[in-house]
Amino acid sequence: MTDAAPAPPVGRPLASTGVFLGTFAAILGLIVALLVLDLALARIDREERRRQAANAFVEGRALLAAGRPGDAADRLATATTLERDNVGYGLALAQALLANGKAADAEEILNRLLDRARNDGAVNLTMARLLASTARKSDAKAFYHRAIYGRWGSDSIARRTAARFELIDLLARQRAHEELLAELLPLQSAPADSAALLARLGPLYLRADSPSRAAEAYRALLRRSPSNADAYAGLGEADLALGQFQAGRAAFRSAVRARPSDSSIVRRLRVIDSVLALDPTGRGLSDAARLTRSRALLERTLVALDACAAADTVAADVAVLDSARAERAAPKPRGDLTAVTERKLSLAETLWRMRPADCVLPTGEQSDILELLQRSISR
Amino acid sequence: MTAPTLPETRSAIAAALERLASLVEDLRRREDRLALVLSLVIGALVGLVVVAFVLLTGRLAAHMYPAGAAGWRRVVVPVLGALVSGILLYRFFPEARGSGIPQTRAAIFIHDGRITLHTVVGKFVCCATSLASGIALGREGPSVHIGSGIASVIARRLGMSQAQVRWLVPVGGAAALAAAFNTPIAAVLFSLEEIMGDLHAPILGSIVLSSTTAWMVLHLVLGDEPLFHVTPYRLVSATELIVYGALGIVGGLGSVGFVKLLLSLRRRFALLPRTGVWWYPTVGGLLVGLLGYFVPAVLGVGYDQVDRVLGGDLVLRTVVLLAVLKAIATAVCYASGNAGGVFGPSMFMGAMMGAAVGAVAHGLLPASTAGPGAYALVGMGTAFAGIIRTPLTSVIMIFEVTRDYTIIVPLMISNLIAFYISQRLQREPLYEALARQDGLHLPSGESRQHAGRLRVNEAIRESPEPLTPDLQLRHALDRVAGSALRSWPVADGDGFLGMVRVSDMEKRAASGAADETIGALLAAVAEREGRSRREPLRFAHVHGDQPLGHALARMGETHHSVLPVVSRANVRLLLGIVTLDDVLTAYGVERADEIAAVEASDD
Repeated sequence: MTDAAPAPPVGRPLASTGVFLGTFAAILGLIVALLVLDLALARIDREERRRQAANAFVEGRALLAAGRPGDAADRLATATTLERDNVGYGLALAQALLANGKAADAEEILNRLLDRARNDGAVNLTMARLLASTARKSDAKAFYHRAIYGRWGSDSIARRTAARFELIDLLARQRAHEELLAELLPLQSAPADSAALLARLGPLYLRADSPSRAAEAYRALLRRSPSNADAYAGLGEADLALGQFQAGRAAFRSAVRARPSDSSIVRRLRVIDSVLALDPTGRGLSDAARLTRSRALLERTLVALDACAAADTVAADVAVLDSARAERAAPKPRGDLTAVTERKLSLAETLWRMRPADCVLPTGEQSDILELLQRSISR
Repeated sequence: MTAPTLPETRSAIAAALERLASLVEDLRRREDRLALVLSLVIGALVGLVVVAFVLLTGRLAAHMYPAGAAGWRRVVVPVLGALVSGILLYRFFPEARGSGIPQTRAAIFIHDGRITLHTVVGKFVCCATSLASGIALGREGPSVHIGSGIASVIARRLGMSQAQVRWLVPVGGAAALAAAFNTPIAAVLFSLEEIMGDLHAPILGSIVLSSTTAWMVLHLVLGDEPLFHVTPYRLVSATELIVYGALGIVGGLGSVGFVKLLLSLRRRFALLPRTGVWWYPTVGGLLVGLLGYFVPAVLGVGYDQVDRVLGGDLVLRTVVLLAVLKAIATAVCYASGNAGGVFGPSMFMGAMMGAAVGAVAHGLLPASTAGPGAYALVGMGTAFAGIIRTPLTSVIMIFEVTRDYTIIVPLMISNLIAFYISQRLQREPLYEALARQDGLHLPSGESRQHAGRLRVNEAIRESPEPLTPDLQLRHALDRVAGSALRSWPVADGDGFLGMVRVSDMEKRAASGAADETIGALLAAVAEREGRSRREPLRFAHVHGDQPLGHALARMGETHHSVLPVVSRANVRLLLGIVTLDDVLTAYGVERADEIAAVEASDD
């Protein structure tokens, strides 16, 4: 580091001492003055860039809201370039890109943001949404969890709950009942006065195959608003899922009273009435009546399955189907009616369980009745 | 502990002043020490000046043609800026025209390191004016000129020798580049590779000191903010190296196209009447304004666009358009006489070319190639290697920009391909060609390297049968008679002993000692030349792997026109000889007898 110069002429004095010291003093003064100037310029530069970035951000958000994600992404990219440390700008850019169909670019930006702000709730949530829109659902779930437990600014409880509900919707769409229930349970500890939350929880518990928790949620809701028709209807569905048809009918009757003009509730009550009238497992029925109802159920099941084109494609199904058809054509039994009733019910239940997944039943009250009847005999 | 008394304080101050005076006096009398101190001072001062230059031009540009402003401003501002700077350059600062790199080299190699304060001020003012108005040129070349000028002014003010002033000029240039580009190592290499044209220049220490000082100043003022923000680089698959090779070809061809366009336009502008020099820059301003009206990204240095393309944020059509328009705008702006450099625009064009290649490759092979941003990054280095022709600097520069080691291999591949193509298709490097257009014949770094690459082995010839030490001079003279060689090797049974001049043999024989042996003559000559008898192996010689220039120097020192080429393992093993004619022939110099022969054959 000391090879600074070629052969130095040692001993030959350079400029006079006055010039020498004066020059160094001038340089020192210049350095100080320039340092002050540079620091001032740098501060102005930072402030102006920040202001320009903020303007570009506002414009970008407006464009995004106006449904012009391409233009929005352009402005937001400018904002991000001007102020790289601002996670909000980067996040908005990612959202604009996502809206513009550029998922890969958005993901790259989000990854960069996550490098800087790994626990940022909003960034994780956006990444989760991006991944949920693709085939990477399991990655999406992980990011939803990071969003739920991540860092949020103001109103963090509501934002976390919203993120959890997005995850819940994803799980519900995936029919992941156990995971869905696991996400719903933490919400039980939500503030007691959140009626809206209870109203959302009820149907979700039903989708998570937890009708008792659904019934609990609806009852809690009814304690806050006793004339809530939807809550009664929900409670009725929960009772039906639990096999408590009478209680279900009572709940639906309350719902009809609360909102008599709601045709869907009226229709559902009619279905329940029909089910109760046809249910072969009802209490206090004679053996003959039970046999009649079981024969009717088998008949309804066969008719419904005949509607499924694929119903008789599997050899095992064909054998059961033939037995059921033979049972339908059999003459009126004599002797032990209970055994015949049980056989018919067993065949009906087996046929119902064996129906192919893609077997689409015709919509309407008859299908609903059949479904509830099957639910009743399976208990 | 008691407080010092007044007399004690006075004596302490007096002692400190005495030490200071002694230090100053020492510095006044020791240029080498002063040069080291000045390396730090120049680094700090140049760093601050360049940071001010960069911030001023950036802020002024943001106000002159802000994003989203009316289109007419993008036309009018460059025209006015070019007009104002054109008048300033014509009337007041003619030396401030152009990039600054050739001017800096001219100062070193022609003007004994002299760059005036007037030129420094002119460069600052004119470049700030033109760059702030959106002229499509760069700020790094001018920064180097300004930094070098500051170093020259200070060194001359302190009365340093011309040689020392010359050495300090690249020291200032390195500081300027380190501050302008935030790349201290590349700044050191650029100063050595391009400005000095010699990677082994003996000022490495000073350049490193000034470069790092300027870089520290930059960080003090602006913080640890990189010039470009790049996503982490990764090589997706080995097949990508082929794509990087293709990028090298595209970058090389693009670089050659740009350099040829620039030189051709500049030649045409030079043919125009001198009276219009003050308004010619307006042509560049008008063109860039018209282009900027439709494509605002063409205006100015364009580092924001580079930043965006590095993030893979621009589409294929846009990057191709920007690469072409920027090349045209920069070539016209520079050729028409605006103040500003091509360093920054080279990076811009390289980034766009790289992004274009990357976008095509990623479109065709999405699974086995990275996004366009990675290619834009490598493209920057590629264009730099192709246009500026400093391959080592370009590799280190991109490495410093990215701070990512994994990029080195693809970068080297594409850089070397671009460099090779550029060298083949455009013989003269850009800065030398620009200087030549101005009538300055600067020593070429490449030609120096070429000359430096010539080795003794390339001029070696078979040795004649050596004379023996016991041979009498009369017989020896009979042996050498008729030979063109003016020095002959002498060897005994154990090997080579030295060279004996024919002139020495003739003189000795003429003085009546014709019966004397060659061995006696050799000993007498060694004694005359101050070599002791105990150092029989200290005879003039060269080795086959030494530079040919070294052989030439040895011939000059020893007055032998023929030198023995000996083995490094055993200096008494004679491998051959090298003659002055052979050396000159290797350098491409025609000998007088050959010229005569050619003339005779022409007749």
